[in-house]
Amino acid sequence: MKTNLSRQNLYLLAVSIFLLIFVLIFSFAIMIPKGKSYRVKKTELKKENLELKQLTDFSIEKEVILQKLQGDNSHAIKAFGSDFSADKFINQHRGFFSSLSVSKSSKLEDEDGFSVYEVNTTSQISSPKSFYNFLDAINTSSWIIGINFPINFKRDGEMISSSFTMRVYSNNKESNSSK
Amino acid sequence: MKYSYIKPRSKTIFTKDVLLLLAFFSVTMVMLFGTYAFLLFRDYRFTQDMLDINEQKSELRASILKMSNEIATIEKQVLLSEKVFTKNSVLKESISNLFDLVPSRITLSEAKIMENGLVLYGITPNKDVYNFMLQAPLRSIFHRTYSSFYPDKNGWLRFVSTNYIDEEEELSSEN
Repeated sequence: MKTNLSRQNLYLLAVSIFLLIFVLIFSFAIMIPKGKSYRVKKTELKKENLELKQLTDFSIEKEVILQKLQGDNSHAIKAFGSDFSADKFINQHRGFFSSLSVSKSSKLEDEDGFSVYEVNTTSQISSPKSFYNFLDAINTSSWIIGINFPINFKRDGEMISSSFTMRVYSNNKESNSSK
Repeated sequence: MKYSYIKPRSKTIFTKDVLLLLAFFSVTMVMLFGTYAFLLFRDYRFTQDMLDINEQKSELRASILKMSNEIATIEKQVLLSEKVFTKNSVLKESISNLFDLVPSRITLSEAKIMENGLVLYGITPNKDVYNFMLQAPLRSIFHRTYSSFYPDKNGWLRFVSTNYIDEEEELSSEN
Protein backbone atom coordinates (compact mmCIF):
# COMPACT_ATOMS: atom_id res chain seq x y z
CA MET A 1 0.00 0.00 0.00
CA LYS A 2 1.44 3.31 -0.95
CA THR A 3 0.95 6.32 1.31
CA ASN A 4 1.06 9.76 -0.09
CA LEU A 5 2.46 12.26 2.39
CA SER A 6 2.91 15.80 1.28
CA ARG A 7 5.99 17.69 2.31
CA GLN A 8 3.94 19.84 4.63
CA ASN A 9 2.49 16.81 6.37
CA LEU A 10 5.99 15.42 6.75
CA TYR A 11 7.13 18.61 8.48
CA LEU A 12 4.08 18.45 10.66
CA LEU A 13 4.83 14.89 11.61
CA ALA A 14 8.47 15.74 12.31
CA VAL A 15 7.54 18.69 14.51
CA SER A 16 4.94 16.56 16.32
CA ILE A 17 7.42 13.79 16.99
CA PHE A 18 10.07 16.27 18.12
CA LEU A 19 7.67 17.94 20.52
CA LEU A 20 6.38 14.65 21.78
CA ILE A 21 9.90 13.42 22.45
CA PHE A 22 10.75 16.69 24.17
CA VAL A 23 7.66 16.40 26.38
CA LEU A 24 8.46 12.79 27.24
CA ILE A 25 12.13 13.47 27.98
CA PHE A 26 11.29 16.55 30.01
CA SER A 27 8.67 14.64 31.96
CA PHE A 28 10.70 11.54 32.70
CA ALA A 29 14.15 13.10 33.09
CA ILE A 30 13.23 16.22 35.02
CA MET A 31 9.64 16.40 36.17
CA ILE A 32 9.18 12.95 37.67
CA PRO A 33 12.48 12.97 39.69
CA LYS A 34 11.68 16.50 40.82
CA GLY A 35 8.20 15.40 41.83
CA LYS A 36 9.63 12.47 43.76
CA SER A 37 12.14 14.71 45.53
CA TYR A 38 9.25 17.13 46.26
CA ARG A 39 7.33 14.32 47.94
CA VAL A 40 10.38 13.21 49.94
CA LYS A 41 11.09 16.75 51.05
CA LYS A 42 7.45 17.27 51.98
CA THR A 43 7.54 14.15 54.19
CA GLU A 44 10.84 15.26 55.68
CA LEU A 45 9.46 18.71 56.42
CA LYS A 46 6.41 17.16 58.05
CA LYS A 47 8.71 15.03 60.21
CA GLU A 48 10.84 18.04 61.11
CA ASN A 49 7.72 20.04 61.95
CA LEU A 50 6.53 17.25 64.20
CA GLU A 51 9.91 17.12 65.92
CA LEU A 52 9.83 20.90 66.31
CA LYS A 53 6.38 20.69 67.86
CA GLN A 54 7.55 18.01 70.28
CA LEU A 55 10.58 20.14 71.20
CA THR A 56 8.36 23.19 71.66
CA ASP A 57 5.99 21.23 73.88
CA PHE A 58 8.93 19.88 75.89
CA SER A 59 10.37 23.38 76.20
CA ILE A 60 7.00 24.71 77.43
CA GLU A 61 6.79 21.82 79.89
CA LYS A 62 10.29 22.63 81.19
CA GLU A 63 9.43 26.31 81.44
CA VAL A 64 6.34 25.52 83.49
CA ILE A 65 8.38 23.29 85.82
CA LEU A 66 11.06 25.96 86.12
CA GLN A 67 8.55 28.72 86.82
CA LYS A 68 6.79 26.57 89.42
CA LEU A 69 10.10 25.76 91.10
CA GLN A 70 11.12 29.42 91.02
CA GLY A 71 7.76 30.46 92.44
CA ASP A 72 7.69 27.84 95.17
CA ASN A 73 11.29 28.33 96.24
CA SER A 74 11.87 32.03 95.67
CA HIS A 75 13.13 32.45 99.23
CA ALA A 76 15.78 29.73 98.93
CA ILE A 77 16.87 30.94 95.45
CA LYS A 78 17.19 34.54 96.62
CA ALA A 79 18.93 33.49 99.83
CA PHE A 80 21.54 31.44 97.97
CA GLY A 81 22.24 34.41 95.71
CA SER A 82 22.75 36.87 98.58
CA ASP A 83 26.16 37.78 99.94
CA PHE A 84 26.32 37.61 103.71
CA SER A 85 26.42 40.97 105.43
CA ALA A 86 27.14 40.98 109.16
CA ASP A 87 25.48 44.38 109.65
CA LYS A 88 22.33 43.33 107.86
CA PHE A 89 22.26 40.08 109.84
CA ILE A 90 22.56 41.97 113.13
CA ASN A 91 19.80 44.39 112.05
CA GLN A 92 17.51 41.51 111.19
CA HIS A 93 18.11 39.43 114.32
CA ARG A 94 19.07 41.83 117.08
CA GLY A 95 15.49 41.65 118.40
CA PHE A 96 16.11 38.14 119.70
CA PHE A 97 19.21 39.10 121.68
CA SER A 98 20.21 41.67 124.25
CA SER A 99 23.49 42.01 122.43
CA LEU A 100 24.76 40.40 119.28
CA SER A 101 28.07 40.46 117.50
CA VAL A 102 28.99 38.62 114.36
CA SER A 103 32.35 38.11 112.67
CA LYS A 104 32.88 36.38 109.36
CA SER A 105 35.81 34.08 110.03
CA SER A 106 36.71 31.77 107.18
CA LYS A 107 35.66 30.15 103.95
CA LEU A 108 35.20 26.43 104.33
CA GLU A 109 35.37 23.72 101.71
CA ASP A 110 32.53 23.81 99.19
CA GLU A 111 29.56 21.62 100.08
CA ASP A 112 27.44 20.09 97.30
CA GLY A 113 28.87 22.72 94.94
CA PHE A 114 27.95 25.66 97.19
CA SER A 115 30.30 28.10 98.93
CA VAL A 116 30.30 27.80 102.70
CA TYR A 117 31.42 30.55 105.07
CA GLU A 118 31.80 30.16 108.79
CA VAL A 119 30.60 33.00 110.94
CA ASN A 120 31.31 33.33 114.66
CA THR A 121 28.54 34.72 116.79
CA THR A 122 28.51 35.88 120.38
CA SER A 123 25.36 37.09 122.00
CA GLN A 124 23.45 37.62 125.19
CA ILE A 125 19.93 36.35 125.70
CA SER A 126 17.50 36.76 128.53
CA SER A 127 16.05 33.26 128.25
CA PRO A 128 16.44 30.15 126.11
CA LYS A 129 13.07 31.05 124.52
CA SER A 130 14.78 33.92 122.70
CA PHE A 131 17.26 31.47 121.25
CA TYR A 132 14.45 29.17 120.10
CA ASN A 133 12.76 32.12 118.41
CA PHE A 134 16.08 33.00 116.78
CA LEU A 135 16.40 29.43 115.47
CA ASP A 136 12.90 29.68 113.99
CA ALA A 137 13.69 33.05 112.42
CA ILE A 138 17.01 31.94 110.96
CA ASN A 139 15.13 29.66 108.55
CA THR A 140 13.36 32.65 107.05
CA SER A 141 16.33 35.03 106.99
CA SER A 142 17.92 36.49 103.85
CA TRP A 143 20.62 33.81 103.78
CA ILE A 144 20.82 30.06 104.10
CA ILE A 145 22.30 29.69 107.55
CA GLY A 146 22.90 26.55 109.52
CA ILE A 147 23.71 26.79 113.22
CA ASN A 148 26.75 24.73 113.92
CA PHE A 149 28.25 23.04 116.94
CA PRO A 150 29.70 23.75 119.42
CA ILE A 151 27.12 25.98 121.09
CA ASN A 152 28.03 27.42 124.45
CA PHE A 153 25.63 28.89 126.96
CA LYS A 154 26.98 30.53 130.11
CA ARG A 155 25.04 32.18 132.87
CA ASP A 156 26.14 35.77 133.28
CA GLY A 157 24.07 37.28 136.11
CA GLU A 158 20.50 37.54 134.86
CA MET A 159 21.55 36.99 131.27
CA ILE A 160 22.85 34.03 129.32
CA SER A 161 25.91 34.52 127.17
CA SER A 162 25.89 32.34 124.12
CA SER A 163 28.48 31.71 121.48
CA PHE A 164 28.14 29.55 118.43
CA THR A 165 29.24 29.31 114.84
CA MET A 166 26.98 29.57 111.83
CA ARG A 167 27.52 28.23 108.36
CA VAL A 168 26.35 30.50 105.57
CA TYR A 169 25.70 28.79 102.24
CA SER A 170 25.71 30.66 98.95
CA ASN A 171 25.98 30.01 95.23
CA ASN A 172 29.46 29.14 94.12
CA LYS A 173 30.27 32.17 91.96
CA GLU A 174 33.43 30.63 90.48
CA SER A 175 31.64 27.57 89.15
CA ASN A 176 28.67 29.68 88.04
CA SER A 177 30.87 32.06 86.09
CA SER A 178 32.71 29.20 84.41
CA LYS A 179 29.41 27.74 83.11
CA MET B 1 -1.95 40.47 -18.16
CA LYS B 2 -4.18 38.67 -15.76
CA TYR B 3 -4.81 34.99 -16.08
CA SER B 4 -7.24 34.73 -13.14
CA TYR B 5 -10.03 36.77 -11.71
CA ILE B 6 -9.28 35.88 -8.08
CA LYS B 7 -6.39 37.02 -5.97
CA PRO B 8 -3.73 34.41 -5.28
CA ARG B 9 -3.99 32.86 -1.78
CA SER B 10 -0.88 33.63 0.20
CA LYS B 11 0.85 30.43 1.29
CA THR B 12 1.95 30.15 4.90
CA ILE B 13 3.59 27.47 7.00
CA PHE B 14 1.06 28.10 9.79
CA THR B 15 -1.77 26.13 8.38
CA LYS B 16 -4.76 25.31 10.55
CA ASP B 17 -3.28 21.92 11.37
CA VAL B 18 0.05 23.43 12.41
CA LEU B 19 -1.70 26.06 14.50
CA LEU B 20 -3.79 23.40 16.22
CA LEU B 21 -0.73 21.33 16.88
CA LEU B 22 1.20 24.33 18.17
CA ALA B 23 -1.71 25.32 20.38
CA PHE B 24 -1.87 21.83 21.84
CA PHE B 25 1.86 21.67 22.49
CA SER B 26 1.92 25.24 23.81
CA VAL B 27 -0.71 24.34 26.40
CA THR B 28 1.22 21.19 27.27
CA MET B 29 4.49 23.17 27.58
CA VAL B 30 2.87 25.85 29.71
CA MET B 31 1.48 23.15 31.99
CA LEU B 32 4.83 21.36 32.15
CA PHE B 33 6.89 24.48 32.80
CA GLY B 34 4.25 25.77 35.20
CA THR B 35 4.42 22.55 37.21
CA TYR B 36 8.20 22.61 37.07
CA ALA B 37 8.29 26.23 38.26
CA PHE B 38 5.88 25.31 41.04
CA LEU B 39 8.13 22.41 42.06
CA LEU B 40 11.21 24.65 41.99
CA PHE B 41 9.44 27.25 44.12
CA ARG B 42 8.24 24.62 46.61
CA ASP B 43 11.75 23.16 46.72
CA TYR B 44 13.15 26.58 47.57
CA ARG B 45 10.45 27.06 50.22
CA PHE B 46 11.18 23.63 51.72
CA THR B 47 14.87 24.46 51.96
CA GLN B 48 14.06 27.78 53.63
CA ASP B 49 11.55 26.16 56.00
CA MET B 50 14.05 23.42 56.82
CA LEU B 51 16.69 26.02 57.69
CA ASP B 52 14.19 27.93 59.85
CA ILE B 53 13.11 24.76 61.62
CA ASN B 54 16.70 23.70 62.25
CA GLU B 55 17.50 27.13 63.65
CA GLN B 56 14.42 27.02 65.88
CA LYS B 57 15.31 23.52 66.99
CA SER B 58 18.86 24.55 67.97
CA GLU B 59 17.48 27.55 69.85
CA LEU B 60 14.94 25.35 71.64
CA ARG B 61 17.59 22.76 72.48
CA ALA B 62 19.85 25.46 73.94
CA SER B 63 16.94 26.90 75.90
CA ILE B 64 15.92 23.45 77.20
CA LEU B 65 19.50 22.76 78.25
CA LYS B 66 19.66 26.11 80.05
CA MET B 67 16.35 25.47 81.79
CA SER B 68 17.40 21.93 82.75
CA ASN B 69 20.57 23.33 84.33
CA GLU B 70 18.54 25.95 86.17
CA ILE B 71 16.09 23.29 87.38
CA ALA B 72 18.97 21.09 88.58
CA THR B 73 20.54 24.06 90.41
CA ILE B 74 17.24 25.01 92.06
CA GLU B 75 16.60 21.40 93.08
CA LYS B 76 20.07 21.27 94.62
CA GLN B 77 19.45 24.58 96.40
CA VAL B 78 16.09 23.40 97.71
CA LEU B 79 17.56 20.11 98.90
CA LEU B 80 20.41 21.81 100.74
CA SER B 81 18.20 24.54 102.21
CA GLU B 82 15.73 21.92 103.48
CA LYS B 83 18.62 19.96 104.98
CA VAL B 84 19.93 23.08 106.73
CA PHE B 85 16.46 24.17 107.92
CA THR B 86 15.70 20.69 109.24
CA LYS B 87 19.03 20.67 111.06
CA ASN B 88 18.19 24.02 112.65
CA SER B 89 14.75 22.78 113.71
CA VAL B 90 16.22 19.57 115.14
CA LEU B 91 18.82 21.64 116.97
CA LYS B 92 16.11 23.81 118.44
CA GLU B 93 14.20 20.73 119.63
CA SER B 94 17.39 19.22 121.06
CA ILE B 95 18.27 22.35 123.04
CA SER B 96 14.68 22.70 124.20
CA ASN B 97 14.63 19.05 125.34
CA LEU B 98 17.97 19.50 127.05
CA PHE B 99 16.80 22.47 129.09
CA ASP B 100 13.51 20.69 129.88
CA LEU B 101 15.60 17.81 131.20
CA VAL B 102 17.15 19.94 133.91
CA PRO B 103 14.99 19.81 137.05
CA SER B 104 14.10 23.01 138.86
CA ARG B 105 16.21 22.04 141.89
CA ILE B 106 19.36 22.03 139.79
CA THR B 107 20.72 25.27 138.37
CA LEU B 108 22.89 25.24 135.31
CA SER B 109 25.70 27.74 135.06
CA GLU B 110 27.11 26.67 131.73
CA ALA B 111 26.26 24.27 128.92
CA LYS B 112 28.48 23.27 126.02
CA ILE B 113 26.61 21.46 123.28
CA MET B 114 28.83 19.60 120.85
CA GLU B 115 28.13 17.39 117.87
CA ASN B 116 28.50 14.19 119.89
CA GLY B 117 28.66 15.45 123.39
CA LEU B 118 27.35 17.69 126.10
CA VAL B 119 29.13 19.31 129.02
CA LEU B 120 27.02 20.77 131.79
CA TYR B 121 28.21 22.89 134.67
CA GLY B 122 25.84 23.66 137.53
CA ILE B 123 24.86 23.56 141.16
CA THR B 124 22.88 20.82 142.86
CA PRO B 125 21.66 20.66 146.49
CA ASN B 126 23.14 17.16 146.82
CA LYS B 127 24.42 14.22 144.82
CA ASP B 128 21.15 12.27 145.05
CA VAL B 129 19.15 15.01 143.40
CA TYR B 130 21.72 15.14 140.64
CA ASN B 131 21.97 11.36 140.23
CA PHE B 132 18.23 10.70 140.13
CA MET B 133 16.95 13.79 138.42
CA LEU B 134 19.66 14.67 135.92
CA GLN B 135 22.18 11.89 135.51
CA ALA B 136 19.57 9.18 135.00
CA PRO B 137 17.95 10.82 131.96
CA LEU B 138 21.38 11.82 130.63
CA ARG B 139 22.55 8.20 130.85
CA SER B 140 19.57 7.12 128.77
CA ILE B 141 20.59 9.52 126.00
CA PHE B 142 24.40 9.35 126.02
CA HIS B 143 26.67 6.31 125.86
CA ARG B 144 29.27 7.65 128.27
CA THR B 145 28.54 9.95 131.18
CA TYR B 146 31.12 11.26 133.65
CA SER B 147 30.34 13.46 136.62
CA SER B 148 32.53 15.27 139.09
CA PHE B 149 31.51 17.31 142.11
CA TYR B 150 33.11 19.92 144.29
CA PRO B 151 31.57 21.76 147.23
CA ASP B 152 30.20 25.25 146.92
CA LYS B 153 30.16 27.96 149.62
CA ASN B 154 26.57 27.38 150.80
CA GLY B 155 26.93 23.62 151.25
CA TRP B 156 25.57 22.84 147.79
CA LEU B 157 27.62 20.99 145.24
CA ARG B 158 28.98 22.26 142.00
CA PHE B 159 29.07 19.60 139.32
CA VAL B 160 30.56 19.04 135.90
CA SER B 161 28.71 16.51 133.79
CA THR B 162 30.45 15.29 130.65
CA ASN B 163 28.41 13.16 128.26
CA TYR B 164 29.33 11.57 124.95
CA ILE B 165 27.60 9.66 122.22
CA ASP B 166 29.86 7.08 120.56
CA GLU B 167 29.37 7.28 116.83
CA GLU B 168 30.21 3.60 116.27
CA GLU B 169 27.62 2.44 118.78
CA GLU B 170 25.12 4.88 117.34
CA LEU B 171 25.67 3.44 113.86
CA SER B 172 25.45 -0.19 115.00
CA SER B 173 22.23 0.49 116.92
CA GLU B 174 20.77 2.16 113.80
CA ASN B 175 21.68 -0.90 111.70
